Amino acid sequence: MTVSLTAPRKISRRAALTALGAGAAATLLRPSAPLRAQAAPTARYFIGVYMPHGMARELWVPQTGFNISYENAVLSPFDDAATFGQSFRQNIVALEGLDLTAGIKAGTTGHDASRVILTGSGTNGDNSSLDQFLAVEQGLGQSTPLSSLVLGVGLADPQLDWCISYAKGGSALPKVIDPSDTFNKAFAQWIVGSDPAAIARADRERQIGKSLLDYWTADLNALAARVPAAEKDKIDQHAAALRDLEKRVNGQALNCALPSAPDPSLYPFIESYNKGEPYFETITNLQIDLLVQAMACDVTRFGTLFLADLSRTGFDPVLPEDVHIDVAHRYATAGRAGVGGDPSTWAMLGRQNRYAYSKVARIVQRLSEAGLLDQTVLVAMSDMGDPAVHSSRQIPTVLAGGWGGKLTGGRHIDLGADGTPSNRLLVSIQQAFGVDSNEFGQSQDPTVITGALDLG
Amino acid sequence: MNSRVPWLFSLGIGLLGCGDGDKLPAQQPEQVVSERLAPGVRRLSSPELDAAAASLFGAEIGLSRKIPPDARQNDYSRNEAQTVDSLTLGSLYDAAQAATSTLDLGHAPFPSCAKTAAVGDQACESATIAALARLAFRRVATDAEVGQLQALFDLGASGQMFGDGVAVVLRALLASPKFLYATTLGASMPSGDVALSDEELASELAFLISGTPPDDTLLDAAARGELRSGASREAQAVRLMQQSGSRFLYRRFVEEWLGIVRLSGLAKSSSVVNDWTTLRGAMLDETNAFIDDIFAQQNGSLSMLFAGGYSIIPSGLAAFYGIEPTPPGARVALDQLGRSGILQQASFLATFAHEDESAPVLRGKAVLIRVLCQHITLPEELGLDVHLPPPDPTATTRERFAAHALDPQCAQCHNALDGVGFTFEDFDAVGRFRSHENGKPIDTSGSVNFDGQTLQLADSVALSRALATSSDAQHCAARQVVRFAAGQTDVKVEDAFADAMQTAPLERRASLTGLFLEFVKSDVFAWRRSP
Repeated sequence: MTVSLTAPRKISRRAALTALGAGAAATLLRPSAPLRAQAAPTARYFIGVYMPHGMARELWVPQTGFNISYENAVLSPFDDAATFGQSFRQNIVALEGLDLTAGIKAGTTGHDASRVILTGSGTNGDNSSLDQFLAVEQGLGQSTPLSSLVLGVGLADPQLDWCISYAKGGSALPKVIDPSDTFNKAFAQWIVGSDPAAIARADRERQIGKSLLDYWTADLNALAARVPAAEKDKIDQHAAALRDLEKRVNGQALNCALPSAPDPSLYPFIESYNKGEPYFETITNLQIDLLVQAMACDVTRFGTLFLADLSRTGFDPVLPEDVHIDVAHRYATAGRAGVGGDPSTWAMLGRQNRYAYSKVARIVQRLSEAGLLDQTVLVAMSDMGDPAVHSSRQIPTVLAGGWGGKLTGGRHIDLGADGTPSNRLLVSIQQAFGVDSNEFGQSQDPTVITGALDLG
Repeated sequence: MNSRVPWLFSLGIGLLGCGDGDKLPAQQPEQVVSERLAPGVRRLSSPELDAAAASLFGAEIGLSRKIPPDARQNDYSRNEAQTVDSLTLGSLYDAAQAATSTLDLGHAPFPSCAKTAAVGDQACESATIAALARLAFRRVATDAEVGQLQALFDLGASGQMFGDGVAVVLRALLASPKFLYATTLGASMPSGDVALSDEELASELAFLISGTPPDDTLLDAAARGELRSGASREAQAVRLMQQSGSRFLYRRFVEEWLGIVRLSGLAKSSSVVNDWTTLRGAMLDETNAFIDDIFAQQNGSLSMLFAGGYSIIPSGLAAFYGIEPTPPGARVALDQLGRSGILQQASFLATFAHEDESAPVLRGKAVLIRVLCQHITLPEELGLDVHLPPPDPTATTRERFAAHALDPQCAQCHNALDGVGFTFEDFDAVGRFRSHENGKPIDTSGSVNFDGQTLQLADSVALSRALATSSDAQHCAARQVVRFAAGQTDVKVEDAFADAMQTAPLERRASLTGLFLEFVKSDVFAWRRSP
């Protein structure tokens, strides 16, 4: 084949693709058929938050009248106008009684269970997490420059048990843990400069980028034609990555003022166990602010945030260095048979929980300031309920935002002690985005993945 | 190189001329291992991408620091789980743009004409594109492929310099699926099996043994069809093993196999150790030097790995081990230190420990699962809760964890786990020796089941010495070599290869080097099952 792209500006993009042997590109690059059929209004933004180390349930349960401000209450940040400008008590639902049933049935529990939170499947599952399902498979992230932002604090490793975002096929998605990278990924493409030379360079780069995308698309199509069916998810994920890059290369107008870049001198180290801990407070706040700014600018509508714990941060002098062993594993709940309960251990775990919820409250605050809260679905969940025994049952969960008019806040919903599969929450969320399906996740037991919660 | 020659003979290998005298076999399997891996595509791991990019640019460009960390399967980073997600591709795009912003065309891999060539010098453009494409694709590019790259060169060079055209070609290559993926797709043969192509054989062999793309010698051998022969592949592997880069791959294998790779992501309590990050670096230096020595001087001997009775201890660890500093690279006898081999190195012991105390369960589990490939039923699989014993300043860790044995359900597995884990109790959370804990003497007695018998153990040194000659440990090592090399977990194939190795000569089955050579020689390496 003789190919010429020497005059790319005279060749339409489709013609160039064809010339490069990418005749099937459109097929390859299109996400699977969306299931959306429900009428508006629907939710528009999604944020999933992972909280480490389970929950001190005794201090989580709202008291009569949805009182979340009693002494040591871990949900108190949502009712803290002094810190967050207003109370968000009426913007959250305290939901208890969820089990990570799909994981439990697959033997994926405890520290491995973070992957179950948004996938609704165990370690061997190959479905995508809810954020990726909505953004990529359902195409709801197609119109924004980034289909999603997968953020974390401290741990970038895409290990199976330390992620909540997963691509179709089951591979864990790496997290951006450096606020500078978050900014660059979300906003750097709009930093061009105003002088003619800079504009010309950007224009040339755009032309080169388009041709490179054509070239890679053709290559991927050629490879797709050869791989066995078992490898199709890999190709699909690569194609989705090309689509994201294509949006960046093509360029879109930014619907807001370009935010300023974070100052990297504020976080000289960013990794867990490698001197990053003292900077996690700053990093977490920046990640939250950038995520919501990206949503406010319509750079993306789907994000996840994997929070770190307070170990070695020095942020709370009352807590020991190692929150995992010395706090979470020492938690003696009143609800565990034969334990009797030790309130001093509730208070210690509660300090970690309250800190994590203060970060969720910051997200809610920023969403409110940006006018996005009513259209947002926010879910904050841990991988465990009682962390001392690595139990992935009875996980206290916070839902926030208006869900596009589908969620009324200021309520405590107790689904009961029998344990309701968390998949039903995921079904409810996908329905809030207009996805016409009554199941989500994977399990050998179809009752686990079927049905929505009654959140009315 | 000469210092490495003796081990070749001890493995039953002479210094073969690569491909000399090897007749090309028919396209049919050669050996008795009939199980086959699935065909597929594997995105190169970060170290492989670094090596491949370095060959393409003629210099390190630090790609792995600019893309997300590798996914791991069973701790192995060379695996089928690596993918090209949005974050990775965007990072590659940026990294390629940055790396090509300033290019020095005056050195390899660029043809000598490239440094002074002008746009329109068709001969030099073609030569440059062909040379770069061969490196990126790990094979000779077709005319059509060269034509596509020429179009991109023309776009980059339009109104610009020769180097600007090269830059766009390099950017195209660096994020090309042909560069990013190693394929084992092959072609179906009349037997129904899939034979890897000559180019795939070369790539697989090079990345497995040296961690780098195939060099000219290997590509030439592939072009002659020689790599279809197991003997030729073995000869090429021996040649590659003598290159210095191969030691990095062996470090990676052993440290991922034994889980030591996790150490860099672990913290220790300041109540146990000061300046943990410095100490951790010294621990890894020791293990790296020891693994280098095991491969370079001990034929990759499993026996020496587990119970060689020596280590190479960096000065930063001398006080930790309670010895005087020794010259760099010197072997230190361990018989007076209560240690024997890699399982008593601080890196392993600290990896499998909690932040402030030892972890007999984790250490026992690591040995049983990683070294002996035994199946341990996890509490989660049984629906059991996990209980850590509460702190007790009057008791030893062993006394606290012994409660496991009192619960019949827990005892099923914990008798096996703790029997091994307790033998390491004379090492604390960072692998420091201790004779007492909380004022009480340490008890390191334990037991283990393997090779069809129960062994009573005085301590972990006794365990290591037993492992050194264990047929179960050899069988497990063969399984781990397949898992690492294949980049996927296929128990049937692992079983078939490990079973076949049981009848291999001792110098092969009891040597990691021997096992790698047997693997590349085998049909498991060269063939795939029908998709």
